[in-house]
Amino acid sequence: MQNKQAVLEDGQAAHVTDTHDWDNFVDDDIMQQKSAIHAEEAKKIPFLGDKEPISSLAAEYQSGSPILLEKIKVLDEQYAAIRRTRGDGNCFFRGFMFSYLEHILVSQDQAEVDRIQANIEKSRNALQSLGYADLTFEDFFALFIEQLEGVVQGKEGSISHEELVSRCRDPSVSDYVVMFFRFVTSAEIQKRSVFFEPFIMGLTNTTVEQFCKSSVEPMGEESDHVQITALSDALGVPIRVVYLDRSSCDNGGVSVNHHDFMPTASDLPNASVSAEKNNPFITLLYRPGHYDILYPK
Amino acid sequence: MQASRARLFKEYKEVQREKSADPDIQLVCDDSNIFKWTALIKGPSETPFEGGVFQLAFSVPEQYPLQPPQVRFLTKIFHPNVHFKTGEICLDILKNAWSPAWTLQSVCRAIIALMAHPEPDSPLNCDSGNLLRSGDVRGYQSMARMYTRLAAMPKKG
Repeated sequence: MQNKQAVLEDGQAAHVTDTHDWDNFVDDDIMQQKSAIHAEEAKKIPFLGDKEPISSLAAEYQSGSPILLEKIKVLDEQYAAIRRTRGDGNCFFRGFMFSYLEHILVSQDQAEVDRIQANIEKSRNALQSLGYADLTFEDFFALFIEQLEGVVQGKEGSISHEELVSRCRDPSVSDYVVMFFRFVTSAEIQKRSVFFEPFIMGLTNTTVEQFCKSSVEPMGEESDHVQITALSDALGVPIRVVYLDRSSCDNGGVSVNHHDFMPTASDLPNASVSAEKNNPFITLLYRPGHYDILYPK
Repeated sequence: MQASRARLFKEYKEVQREKSADPDIQLVCDDSNIFKWTALIKGPSETPFEGGVFQLAFSVPEQYPLQPPQVRFLTKIFHPNVHFKTGEICLDILKNAWSPAWTLQSVCRAIIALMAHPEPDSPLNCDSGNLLRSGDVRGYQSMARMYTRLAAMPKKG
């Protein structure tokens, strides 16, 4: 009897909403609106900007916090230039992509290329043993390896610096490489889930697998220290992150903090730094919610 | 475009190879268009959809697999997360939680799991969602079973 009553009441209540316009407003419309907004944003800044002087940062904060302006002056003393990335949630991976490939293009460090390729194969094996079907990730792996081999000069498929910039701005390359890094990051986190679990619990209160499915693998999901640690460890590439925020020092002076993500050497004999004195060759500028590329002097 | 075609072709070959591995899912590619697929999925057992066969339509975007396929029910279904008129499905992996780690086949599996585990707190079908939210499991099941019989089972006689 009670059940029947509930059906009736709900039936009536729902009848009102049934005739409403919302009925025709489906999720697809929302998705389309979202991608239209993204396309609009895309016109303002490419995936990857041109090199700009550090002073161009100051222009953004002219009417802002004096602490930030002071810190930008300090940055200007230490760094030669900034290259911006689009704030689409993929900025960390995109910054890493360009910084890494540009480093190889300039240094022509064949030993480093061989080293990272060995780590890439380890990531491939990790994904396979986690149960990922090859067809889901192999295209992304192949595309990154193609770019990596491309920046090594003197071969048929070698590319110039100009071509590297344009590829990193081309979604059909850039997005695929971002996705490659997302797979590598996800594999590393799941492979070492015992290590990463406490950090992930602190962030989201989900399981490691859930975290990877919802916050690592989907495009546009922002990266935090968990993802950076995992990518740096998986590929054996140290990363320096310079922090530009409003925090000030106790002694009243202004300094700019940085943190070096160093691949854990014990787990990864293949890491590209054997001695800690080695400076990371990738430097990213972090402002809350966003990463750009920095060039040291 | 080229990349999505290549990926879909790999999935097509995989589907052919694994045909017997998943008897609850029959995924078919359109003869002339690799971006259009349909699937027949079996309603999971011990649910009001048991015994029914439901047809899904897939429309795959050119940016696949970076963007998710659009999937909807062609068979009428009474379920909190499926739009009663359009067949649109509310499932996170078809929206913001999509990643290329999914395939058309695994999307079908996720939809079967959704049929067995409705999420009434994010309803596309409010009538159905309200029944579950008010604790009227029996009402929900009888409505869902009725539509399964009406729309998802072969007509008798």
